[in-house]
Amino acid sequence: MTLSLHIPRLETPRLILRGPEPADFDSYAAFLTEPKRSWGFGTEEDRPKAWRWFACNIGHWALHGYGYFTVEVKETGQPCGIAGIWNPEGWPEPEVGYVVFDGYEGRGIAFEAATRAREWAYTELGFTTLTSNIVPGNARSVALAERMGAWYERSYRNVQMGEEMLYRHPGPEALGIGSDADGSPEAYA
Amino acid sequence: MTDIVQIPRLETERLILRAPQAEEFEAYRALVASDRAVHMFQLDRPAAWKEFAAEMGHWPLFGYGPWHVERREDGALVGAISLLSHDHYPETELGWHLYDGHEGQGYAFEAATAARAWAFGERGLPSLVSYIDPANTRSIALAERLGATLDREARGEDATDLVYRHSRPAERVAQ
Repeated sequence: MTLSLHIPRLETPRLILRGPEPADFDSYAAFLTEPKRSWGFGTEEDRPKAWRWFACNIGHWALHGYGYFTVEVKETGQPCGIAGIWNPEGWPEPEVGYVVFDGYEGRGIAFEAATRAREWAYTELGFTTLTSNIVPGNARSVALAERMGAWYERSYRNVQMGEEMLYRHPGPEALGIGSDADGSPEAYA
Repeated sequence: MTDIVQIPRLETERLILRAPQAEEFEAYRALVASDRAVHMFQLDRPAAWKEFAAEMGHWPLFGYGPWHVERREDGALVGAISLLSHDHYPETELGWHLYDGHEGQGYAFEAATAARAWAFGERGLPSLVSYIDPANTRSIALAERLGATLDREARGEDATDLVYRHSRPAERVAQ
């Protein structure tokens, strides 16, 4: 019996989005356990809890067929953030999520990675709409969502994060990226 | 990341151990939300899903993880056996739970025996322990029936756990 875990490797001009590897864990743990950085994403109280999150993301891929990619700087091969589609139990609907690790802010990395992940979800997964859930006060995340063309739709109570603002992304048609009928990612690279 | 992960299918006299299915989350959720999980943890639905996913994530990460156990005779889902290695576990844990209505028939013993043989044999794990809440007398009885011995020196998942150590098959023969 097999567990199908297809995590594609996506590219942008500067970045690679790929499946998380065990060697990435230290950079994930550093981010997840630092409240100043991860408060808007979901802080884990210690390294063991961060590990469970890391393993949960792999299981999320196995259960849903999508999840968070590790974002890597093409030039150096270093993990610089997390981006992908997240939809654990209790979420209102699938969301585009994005994070940059310490030292990688201000270079447009999150925008580049999140835009690629969204395009993949529309072309390869066949999603017709996506959201981003943002904790009130996370101005950087709001700015990025708006830069991606998303708009505030409503506020709701998230099972994990409490009060959140739901931003709605433009759909594939509005972005001019229809579903990829022949399964060829090259057409959109 | 490997695209296809092999989850071995183990068969015993009455049972089949195989990959958990996404749609079986409900059975898992009902268990961990109930009083029956008092010695494991009690989780609400979102937390249960995260734990279910984190256990599934073990297969690609470690080449071992949870199995669901079904009864050969009628395909009923009777429980789960897991090999887990969360970051704070000093050693790989062999764990078990039975779904409601399937206790008292030796299923956990039968399935855990098969999983342990695979873990030490084909998978080649160097050691295997079970972390058990001291109040969980049924689980302690099962660990002892499996031949595991209390290791007072070993560190548990948390400070209050008892650590039951499973010996490798060759060691059991020698004892």
